[in-house]
Amino acid sequence: MEIHKHNLRSLRSMLDKREISAVELVELYIKRIKEVDHKTNSYITVCEEEALLQAKEAQKLINSGSSGSLTGIPVSLKDNICTKDIRTTCASKMLEDFYPPYDATVVKKLKACGAVLLGKTNMDEFAMGGSSQTSYFGGVKNPYDLSRVPGGSSGGAAVSVAAGLAPVSLGSDTGGSIRQPASFCGVTGLKPTYGTVSRYGLIAFASSLDQIGPIAKSAEDCGIILDSIAGYDSDDPTTAHRGAPGSCSKIGMPLNNLKIGIPKEFFGDGINEDVKAAVFAAVKEYEKMGCQVLEVSFPSLKYAIAAYYLISSAEASSNLSRYDGIKFGYRSKNGESYEELIKNTRAEGFGDEVKRRILLGTYALSSGYYDDYYKKAAYVRQKIKEDYNRIFNTCDVIITPTAPTTAYMIGEQESNPVKMYLADICTVTVNIAGLPAISTTCGYDGKGMPIGMSIVGRPFDESTIIGVADAFERNFERQEVSI
Amino acid sequence: MRYIPVIGLEIHAELSTSSKVFCTCSAQFGGEQNTRCCPRCAGLPGTLPVLNKKAVEYAVKAGLSLDCAINMYNSFDRKNYFYPDLPKAYQITQFDKPVCINGGVDIGGKIIRINRIHLEEDAGKLIHDDFEGISLADFNRCGVPLIEIVTEPDISSAEEARAFVEAVSLRLRYAGVCDCKMEEGSLRVDVNISIMPEGSAQLGTRAEIKNLNSLKSIVRAIEYEISRQSEILDSGGKVVQETRRFNDNRGTTNALRSKEEAHDYRYFPEPDIPAVIFTEEDIENIKASLPKMPQKRFEEYTKDFGLSEDDARLIISDKALSDFYDNAVAEYPNYKGIANFILVELLHQLNKNEASIDSLAFSPSEIAQLVRLSDESKISKNAAKDILRIMFEKGGKPEVIAKENGFLMDTNVDAVIAAIKEVMDQNQKAVDEYKAGSEKVFGFLMGQVTRKLGKGSNPKIIREELTKALKGG
Repeated sequence: MEIHKHNLRSLRSMLDKREISAVELVELYIKRIKEVDHKTNSYITVCEEEALLQAKEAQKLINSGSSGSLTGIPVSLKDNICTKDIRTTCASKMLEDFYPPYDATVVKKLKACGAVLLGKTNMDEFAMGGSSQTSYFGGVKNPYDLSRVPGGSSGGAAVSVAAGLAPVSLGSDTGGSIRQPASFCGVTGLKPTYGTVSRYGLIAFASSLDQIGPIAKSAEDCGIILDSIAGYDSDDPTTAHRGAPGSCSKIGMPLNNLKIGIPKEFFGDGINEDVKAAVFAAVKEYEKMGCQVLEVSFPSLKYAIAAYYLISSAEASSNLSRYDGIKFGYRSKNGESYEELIKNTRAEGFGDEVKRRILLGTYALSSGYYDDYYKKAAYVRQKIKEDYNRIFNTCDVIITPTAPTTAYMIGEQESNPVKMYLADICTVTVNIAGLPAISTTCGYDGKGMPIGMSIVGRPFDESTIIGVADAFERNFERQEVSI
Repeated sequence: MRYIPVIGLEIHAELSTSSKVFCTCSAQFGGEQNTRCCPRCAGLPGTLPVLNKKAVEYAVKAGLSLDCAINMYNSFDRKNYFYPDLPKAYQITQFDKPVCINGGVDIGGKIIRINRIHLEEDAGKLIHDDFEGISLADFNRCGVPLIEIVTEPDISSAEEARAFVEAVSLRLRYAGVCDCKMEEGSLRVDVNISIMPEGSAQLGTRAEIKNLNSLKSIVRAIEYEISRQSEILDSGGKVVQETRRFNDNRGTTNALRSKEEAHDYRYFPEPDIPAVIFTEEDIENIKASLPKMPQKRFEEYTKDFGLSEDDARLIISDKALSDFYDNAVAEYPNYKGIANFILVELLHQLNKNEASIDSLAFSPSEIAQLVRLSDESKISKNAAKDILRIMFEKGGKPEVIAKENGFLMDTNVDAVIAAIKEVMDQNQKAVDEYKAGSEKVFGFLMGQVTRKLGKGSNPKIIREELTKALKGG
């Protein structure tokens, strides 16, 4: 088997047995990126020099027999995660030349494990979108069909794993941005419970929803990565005071007492038939494993998209106000006064989708509209949490489709933002309630495009959803993409 | 027509924590431009605020010292507006859950109610270079913790406003939460003012005067604004609701922006900072850490200690002085005597030596001992001043200094009686003259006895014993 198709456990064993060196491994990936990525455009920046240096250091650790689970393992990072002295663009003209003076907490943790930073992956601008086509650095293409979108916003991260351009990747998920591209690209993506992974150094989109998480070839790989990046961080007061997550602790455990909730609202008219069929088939597999399947209801789902777009856009409108051309980032060459300078800077520096969200969020917070929009959305948020709490009284996990459709054609939906927004229906409630969810491939449609299902768990119960996803993955034949 | 001014204040006080409210940068005043800031307070992408617990504690202390109730559930909000000195383009503040509510300060018989106190972060500073035509931003002040104290519109004159600001400053200094140096901007005041015809119950339209940074400009701005608004109303005009700026050079205010141009701050809950929830015990602990407040001390000094209001006010005007006084009278409770000695002699020496009460070479108890020596006639009043001067220079116990320098007055009555007998024997003629009614010679005899007894003789005892001897003989 080609090395780029190996999972983490296998790469670990090869490195530790000296079947390959950390430097060789990185060189192999860099070579593949050079050969392949001009087709998929999954990287914005490749850190060749730094990666080789890090690999040499990692090899020393391996040679000294003190390697950890990620020592010498190349990792790609979504380009909204700050890396010291390595440009971090958020796929925006606004930050085209932004070199952060610090590492994000997750980067510090990865470096401390001896992981090797391969490069920064492409995405929707400021993580706003589900197609990875709004990037200032050009759209990302799906390796299963280069005329199709890879999903988003962590499209580059998902493609880097799917196309064998990185063994694992970190993305960020505000309303589905890890799970949906994982689904479109036939890989596994985990959105951890809010507060599990530090957001320090993650360039904020919507602070109360954002969470960093892994994209990898399997649930187990996701769990290994999560164990390395999770934990309380004094730099992020919203992280939870919890011990080591032990994310893979339930892998291989019997599922015969597991209760799976199937909320019928997630399988409504808007969901593609192929998708429904594949998810139901997967649920059947779980029944065969001895799980009990319960139909449950989620009445607040019909308000979820509206609430999500109000909350996320409101927070974004505030988070993105700092891009005024004064201290860092793009500055317009035109503008006599401060007001003119800031107007021109923002008009020229942000793309259309970002501007649309800023407008929406600003409007939702404006005096006279706050009660009707932001406040009502906050109320819906409460209702969504209540629905989840009620379901988790009787169920251990919930299974839903990850997206209503499989990957669609580039250019097919971008002109209709509302249709794009509605496509987030299956993923946003998880962020609104702060829950963990994992998306794994459960089938392929008629055109061979991957279909994802999402397994949602109780707060901080990542180990269960990883165990449940792993049980399915063991009996499922993934169709590796050849590119 | 006569008008009644209706005035409310917003006092911004920088808290004197050592670090900023959401990062570990120094919160001290000054410093070379942009040396006291970091990615966090400069609002770089990806950074997050980490709340300084000390700042919250200081805000609670401020509230308790101004007789406020404390909100047990504290959350933060974002106030959004664009300005180059505000790096995140929003200020983290408290909108609907301020840390303190419902306080009040008595300014000599009238209570000015405090509506709320909330905790927020200060912005940076812009430096305008008109010559070059550029503006530069200094972010050293960004993120310095600030409390905003908002009063009810209970103030009716410039003098009341001044008295209120003085009283608040004094209490904040006592609580140790703000140095209240208006000249350094650590205390800044916004004035909301309207006027209404005497006898009317209908409030007038208010103007807000921003950023007054001295007691004098508060008084002048209010007085100017009362006359400006009065003239408008007298001439049949209408006061416009607007924000105004006070021009210190001209002593006038001018319009900054009207109500229509007012910002829409789009407040919403700050998602990056979890709520701070106090227990009763937390509040009790903070309360216990506060010193006795100046108004309590004033009452004690005037009612229990019998000091004059002026003396009491003078002592409480400086917490260190008041602490010094309290410690001295705890050792020796001659309240008035010690107050006089401190206010006259000690302050005189402090001024002369340009010294501060915190850095004296002697303790309050030693001042108490010095006053006691004088009270007990062991030293003379003049000797007490000399001893204080020596204590200022080198420190030391007053009794030891008195002894070493021969200030101690002899209280050996037998020696005095013996000396008197000797003098009377040697000056029979003078004694006879005295007995014949000439009181003039008393001074002569007194002098003779004193000379015989030498330095350190006690004139009071000599006078008493000599009188007794002359009358009795």
